[in-house]
Amino acid sequence: MSLVTRNVLIALLITLVLAGTVAYAVDYLNRARVAELSTIEDQLSIDTLSLETQFSLLEAAPCDSAASSTTLTGELSDLGSRLSYAEDQLGTNNSQVIQLKEQYSLLEIRDYLITKQLAAACGTKPVTVLYFYSNAGDCADCDRAGYALSYLRNTYPALRVYSFDYTLDLGAIKTLIAVTKVQDTLPAFVIDGKRSYGFTSLADLERRFPKGAIASTTSATTTNL
Amino acid sequence: MSPEILTYPFLFLAIFFESFILVTLLSKPARAARTRTSNATIPSVAVIVPCYNEATTVAATCESLLALDYPKEKLEIILVDDGSTDGTPEAMAHFASHPQVRLIRKENGGKHTALNVGIATTNADIIGCLDADSFVEPDALREIIPCFADTQIAAVTAAMSVHRPKNLIEHMQNAEYIFGITLRHALASINGLYVTPGPFSFYRRSTLKEIGDFRHGHQTEDMEMALRIQQHGYAIENAPRARVYTTAPESTLKLVKQRTRWTSGFLRNVLGEYRGLVGNRRYGVLGMLVLPVAIITIGSGIILFLLALFLFFRNIITAFSIRVGIPLSYTLVPHGSFDWFYIPISFYLLLGATALLACLFLIIVGKRLSKTPGNLALGLISYTFLYGLIAPLWLLRATADVTLGKHRLWR
Repeated sequence: MSLVTRNVLIALLITLVLAGTVAYAVDYLNRARVAELSTIEDQLSIDTLSLETQFSLLEAAPCDSAASSTTLTGELSDLGSRLSYAEDQLGTNNSQVIQLKEQYSLLEIRDYLITKQLAAACGTKPVTVLYFYSNAGDCADCDRAGYALSYLRNTYPALRVYSFDYTLDLGAIKTLIAVTKVQDTLPAFVIDGKRSYGFTSLADLERRFPKGAIASTTSATTTNL
Repeated sequence: MSPEILTYPFLFLAIFFESFILVTLLSKPARAARTRTSNATIPSVAVIVPCYNEATTVAATCESLLALDYPKEKLEIILVDDGSTDGTPEAMAHFASHPQVRLIRKENGGKHTALNVGIATTNADIIGCLDADSFVEPDALREIIPCFADTQIAAVTAAMSVHRPKNLIEHMQNAEYIFGITLRHALASINGLYVTPGPFSFYRRSTLKEIGDFRHGHQTEDMEMALRIQQHGYAIENAPRARVYTTAPESTLKLVKQRTRWTSGFLRNVLGEYRGLVGNRRYGVLGMLVLPVAIITIGSGIILFLLALFLFFRNIITAFSIRVGIPLSYTLVPHGSFDWFYIPISFYLLLGATALLACLFLIIVGKRLSKTPGNLALGLISYTFLYGLIAPLWLLRATADVTLGKHRLWR
């Protein structure tokens, strides 16, 4: 074997090792991301269950659990941002991402239900938005709508926004869609129980909110997952 | 499919070639070249300095040649004025009475004609060329001459760097030139050189007689000569410690003009008269690896640049369309958190970073093995951040010129 051939083979081996190391590092980081998401979801799941239990135990004074609910919604928002980023990195068809999104959606629905229960028990009127989107390439305005909702949430912290991937194959989401009677014209919004479709501008979206509804403090999730 | 996938083959090739250079540097022939010592033979040497409007630098160039550590009776300096229109003849006239210097004036005919006139007037065994804007270290010729010990060696190249780089563009070129020192040293050890640069390359007179004088070579007479030497089955060596400093273009515009000439000259030579060398096993590593990689590098530089432009503008347009209508007080403030989770590491970015780091490492190797003085920090920084933005400009321009058959003036 000539010197050049030998050097070419060694260089090829080095290149493969380097490319393999890079691929492994990227995969390791992505797995670490998924593991972190999973950990956060597990913790949130326990916290949600704890809140529900707390809610049941304090039947006489259910409003005492309202503070915990607010904290949970903030954490849910952070989880949403992370999950959205992980989806960008790993792809919308990644099975782990899909599973995490399903768990996340369930957490959102549970938080939404708790919020409604607390509102009924305590006589509060939180403004809730159910936001349905799709990442399947069939919703040109979903990114704009998601960003506008992020702005609204940031500007009006009283908003509680729950975002759902309309195309996610999850029984609870299908039931939520059936209950709220949301059609597949995306983006779709259910603002305080009122359905609306499409997104043209921020001003148009703001007009869909009840008068004076968007002006006090809490937090929510708005990220397109 | 993500457009980033298109970059993978080019990044893979870049890392492969850098690895190949590193392995070759560590191989026996390169190691032997680094330990090469002066031999007893002291051949007669003539250094030709072709000058065209070099009034400001030719005197210093000539002084640096006169300071070479080489027996005076064996060293002749030939200054050829190629019909300059500035004060070059007057600057040359200062050396008229020097016993080692010969002055020649001729009508303007191009650098290759100036070299040929110089060659015709000397009987020296070894003939060197030095651009009139370059300066040599006193021991440079002592480093060059032992490389001619093997009779198959027809030419020897030196180790070029930029003379006193001042601005970022010059520092960037300095890093690039020093990278060239590493490449030239490694490739010379396996006879893979395809250019004998104007600053301080030397030729065996007998070989020049056999293969002929310098030609126009599409304004790259040094490349044409090197390819012709390879075509005739001779070898080109490199002396990594024969330091020569050359003046580099100080602005982006001038740099792009110079490199357009080099790149279009390369393409015209290699895809024209010397097409037979590409992919030809007879020409060893030059034909099978170096020339194909050099051609692909031009294409990949253009593709990667256009791809980067596409991704950049696509992201800008997307970001703008998403934010339109939202108050600037919100859109202009970053809302993400600084967390490891959001580090934007992808296969594409890490592979690119690996290729870049390997490149920077080879630049540092080049500085060390040539013992080139000066601080390289600015060079490495400007090379990292500027080269990828500027190089595609001359690659695109040269490729367009060759495709459209457009010829540009030297200056």
